Amino acid sequence: MSEVDFTVEVCGMAGDGTIAAGGLINEAMSLGGFSVLGFDSYPAEIRGFGRCVTKSRIGSTDIVALGEQTHALISLNDEQSRSRAVFLDDHALVFFDSNPPSYVSEEKSLLSTLSNNVEVFGLPFGDLAVASGAARSKNLVALGGFAAVTGIDPSLFRQVILKKFKAKGDRIVDINIKSFDAGYDYALEKFHDRLKNWFAKSGTQYDSDKVMMSGNQAIGMAAIEAGLKLYFGYPITPATPIMEYLAKWLPEKGGRVVQMEDEISSIGAVLGSFYAGERAMTATSGPGFALMTELITHGVMAEIPAVIIDAQRAGPATGLPTKTEQSDLHAAVFGGPGDSARIVIAPTNVEECYYMVLKSFQLAEKYQTPVIVLTDFFLDNRVENLHTPRASDELRACWNVFPDESPGNRYLRYEDTSSGISPRAIPGMQGYNYTATGLEHTESGSPDYSSEIHTKMTEKRHRKIRNALEDLQQPTEFFSSDQLDVGVIGWGSTFGSVLEAVAKSKKNGFRVGALKITSIFPYHSDIIKAFMAKSGFVLIPELNYEGQLANLLERLNSKPVERLNLVTATPIPPSAIQKRIEELLEVGA
Amino acid sequence: MKTPAKILAAQVSRIEESGRFYPRSEALPTWCPGCGYFGIHQGIVDCISSLGLPLHEIVTVSGIGCAGRYPFFSKTYGLHTVHGRTLPAATGIKLAKPGLTVFAIGGDGDGLAIGGGHLPHIARRNIDVNYVLFDNSIYGLTKGQPSPTSPLGSKTKASPYGTVDQPLNATLMALTYGASFVARLFAGDPKGITDALIQGVQNPGFSVFHVYTSCVTFDKTFKTWTNLKKWVHPLPAGYDPTDIHVAFDQVLKDDFSMGIIYRRKN
Repeated sequence: MSEVDFTVEVCGMAGDGTIAAGGLINEAMSLGGFSVLGFDSYPAEIRGFGRCVTKSRIGSTDIVALGEQTHALISLNDEQSRSRAVFLDDHALVFFDSNPPSYVSEEKSLLSTLSNNVEVFGLPFGDLAVASGAARSKNLVALGGFAAVTGIDPSLFRQVILKKFKAKGDRIVDINIKSFDAGYDYALEKFHDRLKNWFAKSGTQYDSDKVMMSGNQAIGMAAIEAGLKLYFGYPITPATPIMEYLAKWLPEKGGRVVQMEDEISSIGAVLGSFYAGERAMTATSGPGFALMTELITHGVMAEIPAVIIDAQRAGPATGLPTKTEQSDLHAAVFGGPGDSARIVIAPTNVEECYYMVLKSFQLAEKYQTPVIVLTDFFLDNRVENLHTPRASDELRACWNVFPDESPGNRYLRYEDTSSGISPRAIPGMQGYNYTATGLEHTESGSPDYSSEIHTKMTEKRHRKIRNALEDLQQPTEFFSSDQLDVGVIGWGSTFGSVLEAVAKSKKNGFRVGALKITSIFPYHSDIIKAFMAKSGFVLIPELNYEGQLANLLERLNSKPVERLNLVTATPIPPSAIQKRIEELLEVGA
Repeated sequence: MKTPAKILAAQVSRIEESGRFYPRSEALPTWCPGCGYFGIHQGIVDCISSLGLPLHEIVTVSGIGCAGRYPFFSKTYGLHTVHGRTLPAATGIKLAKPGLTVFAIGGDGDGLAIGGGHLPHIARRNIDVNYVLFDNSIYGLTKGQPSPTSPLGSKTKASPYGTVDQPLNATLMALTYGASFVARLFAGDPKGITDALIQGVQNPGFSVFHVYTSCVTFDKTFKTWTNLKKWVHPLPAGYDPTDIHVAFDQVLKDDFSMGIIYRRKN
């Protein structure tokens, strides 16, 4: 296998060390110079009978989406792993415990569910772990067996094990390395005639600038780089890791994390902090976002900046807390009373999480409005290895629009300028005292309910948001061409799958292209319209029922856009998009 | 000819010349004639003047309701937020810029009903915010419905047969939640308000000023000026506000003793 595109899953019961094993695979393969995209799914319950699955896709070229067929399954609990059998590639490898601690009945065993072509490798995980010093390290034994059979350099695993367990002391490192080696040696000896050596000559080079990072980590790092002073939040899956990351690292930079009593107070305090002139942020998910909407519209009306991360999860209300979906787009763009236009942006990968969160602070400051960054469970929790993101001075710069040094006769906080942006004074600045209000107000900030004022000020606020387009990232076209049979528009975490599907369709000889949209509102209608105009069919795949971006953009197209809406609460598979593209062309032909 | 506008303008200029009312904005309060809020306003204005606080280093935050309009009538920086969210906004401001003096202004509905969940948390964080709770036991700006502090049996348009819910006691709540400074005051005594505020503003933590006031428009029965004047009285002689047990005893046995109820020793 000169070109590597390999997907491995680790599956076990909560407590089996599944997530840890998956993490070690990601780190080791990244260290080996491969491109890695990893994603864990875990139950919403903490203990008990929850199933944990980690999926890692490893490639010698860039990986942009999760793999669909699994080439290797490492089963730490056969009963849980049975459900993964359907995702196995025809010639997949399965690693399992040949001497499991508890009896699993024949009809419930993993082996009975596997097709004939699948190759099985039984290792006594538990026994080898106990012999190495601790029963808990059976996941490391499993990794050893996996590395030996697939031909991964064992020193990569030893390095990442050392890095992961260093803080816990030499004894723990020893037990884990010994367990790994025990599995490795056992497999080499027992399966010497069945070794695959798939990873032996990958032809990739280790890039020391690459780091393994999740979307949530990237968001936390970016906020710190942006000079975040205060983080206010309330725990909610999948946004909580952002708060936990900041709680650990923000105090080192002189900032503070306050776990508030609810989401309403979190956004209230963010507005208070920005009003007083300091950068603040909150992160939440759909249900918490719903609670925030009233104050978000206050930010719109009183023209106070705010940065809000909405890490989307599946379903309305409590929904599916640990599953992914892109169904808060309507809420982010339209949620709340009145004509309350605000800025909504959506990164499509981990690297963009970093750069777009940095940018969101500048946008919030310059346009004096809440900026909502839409991510989702898949984007927040997946890990990618990427070039260490670096904040330029330009991206860190403060974009506050202050009034002139010398106050005139009368400072107009809400002055109706041609750009719609009014200079914003900060408490402490002498001579500019004003009252910010969510009531409709005159240019000076006095409450006023006249038709003239409401018309004029509504128009001013919308003009301001329209003008924000000049600072918002333009859509990016991939596989650009003058004429397309199918043009696919993607956003958020789905875009990786769009890109892969379009690339494959193109290879199959179809005239297809992709457009990535990260500025959800306001959006670049001219560019989108032009892309739509040259596409025979416009397809917008989304992880929501209605097609929320499609609803927003459809008016730009001369005929209805084609939708692909999945509510499986799992990442959209590239093959589903590819299938739809090719179906459209068959019907169209 | 003397038009009402001219009379008002003359009054404003007199007020400005006096200097005593310097922290007042040119916008005249929109409260009803005879409203107790004027007395509280005067108390706050005099506190700012007495302490000589620069107006651009003060932020007045409020929610919704008659009391919510307060920031417009003050020359300080102001943030008029949405219903009930005064205290979170005040928390953000104070943590962002600790050098600012922050007055949070709220009514009994705003602060104890919709915003009631925030009071314990700002108190336990002991954020240096001065919370002035205008308690007239009625929803005024929505034209007279019962509030969380309406006395049992209050007849209003929304409770024509009388309320059946026990009223909340904001002073007791502030003590219970651990506010580091608690005063109970009367709108008819601006001087008392000023004196308490001067001490409370200097308290380096969360201070609550629970002010009894009357609503002359919608409450003709309970907290009328006549009744309040009859009921309120100073704390007993020799009262020690630094003893939390004494404070609880006092608040539990007497709803109308006025003054600094509790002050945490620093």
